[in-house]
Amino acid sequence: MKYLSQLSLLLPLAFFLGAAIQYMGQSSDYTIASMIIRDGFILISLILSLPLIYKQKWTSDRNVLRGLRHLFFLVLITSAILFLSENRLASLREQFFDSDFFRINLGDNVLVVSWAFFAIVFILIALGTLRNLIYIKRKKSTAAIFTWLMIFLLLYSLTSLPEYYPDSVIHDAALFKYINYVVLFILINFSVINSFRVGWINYLNKKQKIACFWGGLILVPVQGLFVVQFREINPIVSFSPLLERFIEMGMVFITVYLSISFLALLAHLPTAKLYDRKMQQIQSLHDLSRALSSEFNWTKLVRTIVKLASEVTQAEYAWLELYNHRDGALSLISSKQLLEFERQNWQAERIGPLIEWLKRTKETMICNQVNKNDLVKNIQTWKKDVGSLIAVPMITSDRVVGFLYVGKRFEFGFEQDDAEMLRAFSDQATIAVENARLVEESIVKERLEQELKIAHEAQMKLLPKKMPVIEGIELDAVCVTANEVGGDYYDFFKLDDAKLGIVIGDVSGKGPSAAFYMAEVKGIMEALAKEVLSPEQMLVAANEILYKNFDRKTFISLIYGIIDAKNRSFTFCRAGHCPIFFVHGEKDICQRLEPKGLGVGLDPGPIFAKSLQQERIKLKRGDTLLLYTDGVTDARNRDGDEFGEKGLETALLAVKDQVSIEIKKHIIHTIYSFFDGQNAYDDLTFVIIKAL
Amino acid sequence: MDAFSISRVNKNGCSILYLNGFLDAHTAPELENELEKLIAEERFNIIVNFKDLTYISSAGLGVFMGYIENIRDNQGDIKMCSMSPKIFRVFDLLGFPTLYDIVQEEDRAIELFYKPEQK
Repeated sequence: MKYLSQLSLLLPLAFFLGAAIQYMGQSSDYTIASMIIRDGFILISLILSLPLIYKQKWTSDRNVLRGLRHLFFLVLITSAILFLSENRLASLREQFFDSDFFRINLGDNVLVVSWAFFAIVFILIALGTLRNLIYIKRKKSTAAIFTWLMIFLLLYSLTSLPEYYPDSVIHDAALFKYINYVVLFILINFSVINSFRVGWINYLNKKQKIACFWGGLILVPVQGLFVVQFREINPIVSFSPLLERFIEMGMVFITVYLSISFLALLAHLPTAKLYDRKMQQIQSLHDLSRALSSEFNWTKLVRTIVKLASEVTQAEYAWLELYNHRDGALSLISSKQLLEFERQNWQAERIGPLIEWLKRTKETMICNQVNKNDLVKNIQTWKKDVGSLIAVPMITSDRVVGFLYVGKRFEFGFEQDDAEMLRAFSDQATIAVENARLVEESIVKERLEQELKIAHEAQMKLLPKKMPVIEGIELDAVCVTANEVGGDYYDFFKLDDAKLGIVIGDVSGKGPSAAFYMAEVKGIMEALAKEVLSPEQMLVAANEILYKNFDRKTFISLIYGIIDAKNRSFTFCRAGHCPIFFVHGEKDICQRLEPKGLGVGLDPGPIFAKSLQQERIKLKRGDTLLLYTDGVTDARNRDGDEFGEKGLETALLAVKDQVSIEIKKHIIHTIYSFFDGQNAYDDLTFVIIKAL
Repeated sequence: MDAFSISRVNKNGCSILYLNGFLDAHTAPELENELEKLIAEERFNIIVNFKDLTYISSAGLGVFMGYIENIRDNQGDIKMCSMSPKIFRVFDLLGFPTLYDIVQEEDRAIELFYKPEQK
């Protein structure tokens, strides 16, 4: 396909050559037939080469300058060639018009044909370039109007022909002349309509407009001169009047278009700077909103804000001050073109009055003579060479989060327009800053949660992995933490084949600190249990160590007991902990075992030791012991009611005859249905001892 | 979360703190601040009235332990009064009655500062 479309260009060339050969081969006497053949060839050649106009490509639609540059050089080169061969061409033309017997030599023939070819190629390329310009920001009718222009250009060339044909053929020359004028009239109209499509000038920036101005200053007169000169010396008429007219009117259109473009450009020049600035401001706002949506890296974001702020206002310096979220202190976050020592010298106190004013009024401060303004001149205590300044408070939902400044060395550097722009810009920047802060906070929060999760896993490893096996006794336990880590704890110590130590405890307070103390308690209890002390001795020893190590606010409630499988007994001591629930196998009552005893860590020793009461109970078949922490009984439902000892007792009694795992399941289930979706405040821990 | 508040009344040379609401790990710092203020003002005769306290957690109990040493070293004390049975149960389980004077009437608590022999 591609080759085919390239080959199709050969077709007009072939017809053109046909006309040329016919022209050069003929003798001086024109016959009507030869004229018709020649003009037919040229007409077909022209029509076939019209796609050349339509198929010219831009490198990019927006790159108008490239097309203009091509046109510029094309016109210059063509004009240069025309002026160089001026004398010879002019004499040929005169010969044609002056003599009835027009006979020229082969060399001149070649010159005329080549010149015709060159001119038509020039016209086609130039028209193609103009078409691309005309099509920029095209409307529905744009293509149609341009095509009508082309059609009338051809029609005009065609209707001019009779003028050159002998009277013997043309009977009513005047009629053809009128038709020709009407077509010309319409052609001019279309030329003018097309010439007003100069929207592309809008898309040029200031620099490009200036370049176009200088280019136009050369191009337009050269093109004008070219057209005038072309009309006088052009010898193509001897080859083909049709081609001559086509080229001539094409030239005129190009000149008109270029002239009107140039005038439009002149009209745009004074506002070019303003227009440019608006474009740049829009671009900066656009850049910012892109940064806003994608940039959560704090350092990069504040740098971008400062950079763009100075760009939109074309300032020399810019800096950003923000309030710290935690302590509310104002600090210099980022700056552009500030020297290191100036940043060092910056202090919130030094610009107090300005900040107060900005906070109070929430207005923009624009100051074109910094040292004459009492509010602003304090800036010069840390930044000496500020002549003009704009300061904007950054506000989110009525809270001032910081201030954005731009400055110039000289006075009267800013206009009201700059202030408004910076204001709009800072509104966007505020959102970006707040977003980035939120993201950063959520990242920190996520990291903390992750760390707590790790801590939770570590703590769970401190609890026994499986239940110890002891003859005639069934054990089960559960520990659920409300937060990731907590202060609840239970453990078992195998003392000998028949004896098993059991501990349950609850460190005061919550979260990580409670968890650390819990780990400490575990270590101490484990070490002490190896000595096979009685529960009372065990707790006294633990209290002695823990009182020294605990922070005064912290204490732990503990129960330590020893199961003796041989004589089926449970000996225990309670240090401030919740009572043990004791359900007899054959009776439906729940006994609360609550011997006296102070919490561990409350007293250095003597009072604690005196407070403890060791108790021993016999375990009969079917007896159940429940050791729990206050998280179980303190559990509250939506209405604020406590689960309480009563609730726990009821739950326990309901399943007292079942195996320990069923008891465990039932208690957990009962508590969770009591919560009814409400989160636990505390940790849930309990141990079940069942005598078989 | 239930709210917590403290009000203070100075009466007969004692400072009485009235606790209201929910005293747990989150609200304990408020009580700490209040006790620190009293210590800074050198008011060491402190009575804590639990009349309107609905809940106390172990962290809340810990607050008293954190300051009692300092206060007793300065010949002062923290005496507690007007506990609801539920609140008293928490203190009792941990054995606090052996460490603190816990009485029913506020006036009785004031008396205890002046007539310790009646204890």
